Amino acid sequence: MLFFRSEADLKAWLQSKNAARGATLTISQLWQLSQLWYHNRMDVEYHGRSLEQVQAIFKKVGLVSEFWR
Amino acid sequence: MPVKPLPENRLWDIRAFVYRHFADTTHAPGLDETAAAFALTQEQAASAFEDLHHRHAFFLAPGAHEILMANPFSGIETPFRVHADGKTYYANCAWDSLGIPAALHADADVEAVCSQSRQPINLQVRAGHVSTSGALVHFLVPFEHWYDDLVFT
Repeated sequence: MLFFRSEADLKAWLQSKNAARGATLTISQLWQLSQLWYHNRMDVEYHGRSLEQVQAIFKKVGLVSEFWR
Repeated sequence: MPVKPLPENRLWDIRAFVYRHFADTTHAPGLDETAAAFALTQEQAASAFEDLHHRHAFFLAPGAHEILMANPFSGIETPFRVHADGKTYYANCAWDSLGIPAALHADADVEAVCSQSRQPINLQVRAGHVSTSGALVHFLVPFEHWYDDLVFT
């Protein structure tokens, strides 16, 4: 997962790598995802999460396309 | 002779130790350090590291017993620096650079660069909010393939 300053920079990078576009998030969306994903990562009780829990997190951030399944 | 697997609770204690070590020191504990902390032999500690790697609790460098990633923390220097709690951490990727303040519940300054222009991207997390930025984050690999090659992802 990489940062780009603008849409134009992302497009230029994809072209230079001959890569297909994946999914893009704004910084606000990324922060929301980070909080949901990592808020309990330091807990002793954290032992990972199920696929259903992962999908529930994506859904909360509005990430519901095929890319996130 | 095969090493007897550690009890589940002991294994997860090792995972917690690794994460706490990253948070406290910014780097991964070595095998020796982990073995000493839990009164294990090198072989037992190596077996526990491998087990936790296979469970995706953290990830070892290929062919080694060195922790490469305990997401969001990176065991090696990367272009994603995160200043928090008076320390400088390295994140594995753009996402993990915000994952560190989320995991530590701390304010942070993220120093990274645009992957195309190499211009700086600086973000601030303060009191649970991230600074406004026009920057984007691109996920190249669909979720179902994230663990095929985690370093590439």
